[in-house]
Amino acid sequence: MEPIIEVRNLSKVFKSRGRKITAVDDVSFDVSNGEIFSMIGPNGAGKSTTFAMMTTLIKPTGGKIKVAGFDAEKEDDRIRPIIGIVPQKLSLYPDLTARENLELMGNLYDVPKKVMQERIEYYLKLVNLETHADRFTGGFSGGMKQRLSVISAVIHDPQIIFWDEPTTGLDPQTRQAIWKLARKFNTEGKTLIFTTHYMDEADKLCDRVAVMNAGKLMALDTPENLKKTSNSATLEDVFIHLTGEEIRD
Amino acid sequence: MDVKTELRKSWIIMIKESKQILRKKAFMIPMFLFPIVMIIFFGYGMGGTVKNVDILVINDDTGTASSALVQEIGNFIPKYGDVKMFSIIYTKNMGQSEAEKKIDAGLYKAVLIIPQDYSERVAKNQSVTLTLLTDSSDTASSGIIINFMRQLIAGTSSSLVTLKIPDLYGKLEYIDFLTPAVIALTVFIGTIQTMGYAIAGERQDGTLVRIMMTPVSRGAVILGKTLHQLILQLARAVVLIIAAIVLLGVKMNGSWLLVALVLIIFTFGAVGLGIAISAVSEDMISFQAISMLVAFPSMFATGVFYPLSSVPDWMRWIAYIVPLTYANDAMRTIMVKGQGLAFIANDLMILLFFAVFYFGLGVYFFRREAA
Repeated sequence: MEPIIEVRNLSKVFKSRGRKITAVDDVSFDVSNGEIFSMIGPNGAGKSTTFAMMTTLIKPTGGKIKVAGFDAEKEDDRIRPIIGIVPQKLSLYPDLTARENLELMGNLYDVPKKVMQERIEYYLKLVNLETHADRFTGGFSGGMKQRLSVISAVIHDPQIIFWDEPTTGLDPQTRQAIWKLARKFNTEGKTLIFTTHYMDEADKLCDRVAVMNAGKLMALDTPENLKKTSNSATLEDVFIHLTGEEIRD
Repeated sequence: MDVKTELRKSWIIMIKESKQILRKKAFMIPMFLFPIVMIIFFGYGMGGTVKNVDILVINDDTGTASSALVQEIGNFIPKYGDVKMFSIIYTKNMGQSEAEKKIDAGLYKAVLIIPQDYSERVAKNQSVTLTLLTDSSDTASSGIIINFMRQLIAGTSSSLVTLKIPDLYGKLEYIDFLTPAVIALTVFIGTIQTMGYAIAGERQDGTLVRIMMTPVSRGAVILGKTLHQLILQLARAVVLIIAAIVLLGVKMNGSWLLVALVLIIFTFGAVGLGIAISAVSEDMISFQAISMLVAFPSMFATGVFYPLSSVPDWMRWIAYIVPLTYANDAMRTIMVKGQGLAFIANDLMILLFFAVFYFGLGVYFFRREAA
């Protein structure tokens, strides 16, 4: 399959109080069009920084990223309309209703009004929030917020969905619902890129998994191949094998 | 992105901001109530002295009595001070209307007109009238000067010397001096604070990053937030002025449009400063700490509560580099003196400079990465 994202020799160095911190160190990989791709790694592995560079939020120190053929540094305004982002921190406006939050995103992505209203009704129903459409999101549970956050990321029908730790802190029912949604989006032809700390999530859901550690890409393959290569029974064993047992800050 | 799209997206951001702020009732009520309480509280309590106030003495008399009088004025040092109260500038052959123009232009806080036959009439024990013109828009300084002059005249050997004090701007009280500056102060601090919630607060709860990940430019986000601030602060100023007129009998002698013009330019600068502070603050707590550093000197060094002529020199130097000083001056010139554009042109130019500088600083610091 042709790549929809090409990452080449990517690096990011942050400067903090005179110190240089290499968050991402010479990372290269491709994400194929239509696949479910996940990045796993311990805290500080560089997943979120790589994620932020792919979504054009921060600029790389070195290397290149191409998203759907567009240069992430120079053509970020061409990339933003075709990607949807579900951030780790559920960034909904608590003083706006569910519908107003969706309308805000739809308007910022230039979705035509009629199409937007149809999508809002469709997606609210899809995630069982139709009866809460006109409630302020400040009173929503974590699961409700996550479901709303997901549909606000797809209101403009993006080609690629970036999903930062989609099921962290959610109950099993909501996790199942989120996985179902992810698969649905994927069958509609969307490419999904996750970061996750849940190995079962990466194992069950993803076509390929990138394992990162200390800013470097340690391995990239299908979950089955990763297990085979490191002679491990589970993806969690692969993870420990590649990244070590030391606890990270 | 074309201009139309930019404006439309700015509008979207502005509507969102307005909805959010209107729903924060616990924030909205004190925002309007606090300055009214401040006006009432400070309006009846402040007092003090003045230092090195420029006073123009029009002395057409060449006798010894007038020389002695002027010398006494020039040498007076207040009881609790170490600096002369007045800095005297002498002139001759100037009529009262020309002298009034000098006060209108803000060149002098007071003008003392000594008639040609003053010394002669004092010597002959005949009645004689001195005319004292004061900038009564600065009620605090004016009151102190009038009080001093009355005591001085009462202490002269002749009991037939009287003091005529025409009201240049009508009967004014301290509240009239205070209100325009309190409005400017609340607009300044209110803008910085709400910009803090709109940027540092949104960054903390993750909503800013979500907005910055959409196809919206940095400029549209800033413009949307700025438009919201302009509307909010103008509405606030109108409510405050009406409250001051209705509740306290404060006079509004000038043009509402000029007040709006001053506040728009001033708010732009405050928005820029608010953005810059929020952009360099890691979270709301650090934002609060930095903004307090800006708010406190502005509150106490810029002549909001007492005239600049009464503050120490070091504080006056701080005042000159804080935009609120010029906003206070322009607001008083319009609201109290009822004067027009020509009289606030200098203040407006300085405020415009601050607005461009702070806004540029804010835009520079507010980067997508900072979200």
